[in-house]
Amino acid sequence: MLAAAARRSGVRVPLKRSFATATDVAGLKVATLNNGQPTASISLIVKAGSRFESKPGVAHALKNFAFKNTSDKSSLRIVREAELFGGVLSSTLGREHLALTAEFLPGDEAYFAELLSSLATSTKFTTHELNESVTSAVHAESLAALSSPAAHAVELAHTIAFRRGLGRPLFASPHSSITAEDVKSFAATAFSQGNIAVLGTGIDGNVLTKLVEKYFTGLASSTTSSASASQYFGGETRIDAPGAPTIFIGYGTTSPAPTLAVLASLLDPTPSLKWTTGTSPLAALPEGATAQVVHLPYTDAALFGVVVQAQTVDGVKEAGKAVVQALKNVASGSVKDEEVKKAIAKAKFAAASTIESRDGLLTAFAPQLLANTGTTLDALFTSFDKVSASAFSQATSELIKSKPTYVSIGEAHSMPFADELGL
Amino acid sequence: MSGPLGLSLAPQIRASRSLYKFFLPIAQSYANIAGYRRMGLKYDDLLVEERPDVQKALSRLDKRESYDRVFRLKTAFQYSILHHDLPKDKWLKESDDKRYLTPVIEEVAQEDSERLAWDTMKVEAK
Repeated sequence: MLAAAARRSGVRVPLKRSFATATDVAGLKVATLNNGQPTASISLIVKAGSRFESKPGVAHALKNFAFKNTSDKSSLRIVREAELFGGVLSSTLGREHLALTAEFLPGDEAYFAELLSSLATSTKFTTHELNESVTSAVHAESLAALSSPAAHAVELAHTIAFRRGLGRPLFASPHSSITAEDVKSFAATAFSQGNIAVLGTGIDGNVLTKLVEKYFTGLASSTTSSASASQYFGGETRIDAPGAPTIFIGYGTTSPAPTLAVLASLLDPTPSLKWTTGTSPLAALPEGATAQVVHLPYTDAALFGVVVQAQTVDGVKEAGKAVVQALKNVASGSVKDEEVKKAIAKAKFAAASTIESRDGLLTAFAPQLLANTGTTLDALFTSFDKVSASAFSQATSELIKSKPTYVSIGEAHSMPFADELGL
Repeated sequence: MSGPLGLSLAPQIRASRSLYKFFLPIAQSYANIAGYRRMGLKYDDLLVEERPDVQKALSRLDKRESYDRVFRLKTAFQYSILHHDLPKDKWLKESDDKRYLTPVIEEVAQEDSERLAWDTMKVEAK
């Protein structure tokens, strides 16, 4: 009892401190999270994901245009100065948001805040940089990402599930013809006040507020980017490609609920203890087959699915059938109450451990920060706790009533079709 | 003063109004006597291109400009072989003799010198 209470209080304290409410500074939303980390970071979260792009591939090009020549600093100077400060600069692209992040030692925040503001306001977007470094980086990233059949399957699944908006490919196709002007005009709309939020970690809230007031004054105050509401379609696609036979079985929804996260942790075959098989319904797949649960929440939709890979086509077919059967079992309500409780606990841990890392924090809080809907981890935990076994199986049965999204990548002449797996 | 474009006193002359006025007619007649305009060439077509920085600058020209450059050079080679000038109506007009390459070379040279400066910098602890 005492141990439980101590554990609870041990958890509560960091939770309360974990989330600062976003404040409006100079038209931007600014939030800080200071747990006394040994390093600090500032991230610009920009509504410039592939969902908002004006031309296919332009968001990916913009991501790679980060830290290039600006009107006051050359890209070489940006890199060398960041090296002198011992900082790390990175840009990450999601379907909804682009994040430009600078990580550094506490005390150097003024330099990096100024750098991020100059990126947002005065990047030059020259044609020679596009030709000499950006395009090659874009192609290399696309090639590297899509050479993994699992990543390719998830990318295709988005296109089938949502078609436009969220369905737009994250990685530019090698055939896209992006010009520097395209990137420039996309950036001009993206880098405006309503589209940017600033997230600081390991930095005092007042300090960051002052820096934002000082440096982020030159942003255009045009209207915020908006995309049409997501719609779920579903469907099937088959790609003939070498490599391990891979299938994606999934469903999308335009009303994301906490039950999806619980379903993901219920099915997740990753064992809690190394070298054991775990107790997930997907733990007993045929020999050599692996399943990976994918749960990708977005602001107005979510994609849930399982990526199944095996050595042989027969293996992937058997494993696919097992996955479909497992989903049907959950929907029919055959999951016991304690199993749901276990899944809830796992989902809570996953949600909490995600936000420990900077990347996880960015993905978890970027949408909320821009939409100004602050959710704390406490609120998230409460919503998980409200999931009962019956509500859970009902939500799952509703999810799998919709048209499935099915992707198969492998030898197309022998790969299973969706209906052969029982979808 | 010196760089990929060679030694030049032009900036100093341009800075002084009277010097500029004095040299302008001389410069114009020099350019006409030099005869490259009779071959349909622009001054920037004559710049020494066998150096990495100028090559890089050439790669940065847009498609139209580099096509036109190659066209002018081929025409000039052909007429040089024939020991003829272009027909007079096809001579390059003075107003068309634009420095299309020089600013790009200057930009590349500036990048190179910046890189050199960063590569040889000395860090002093404050």
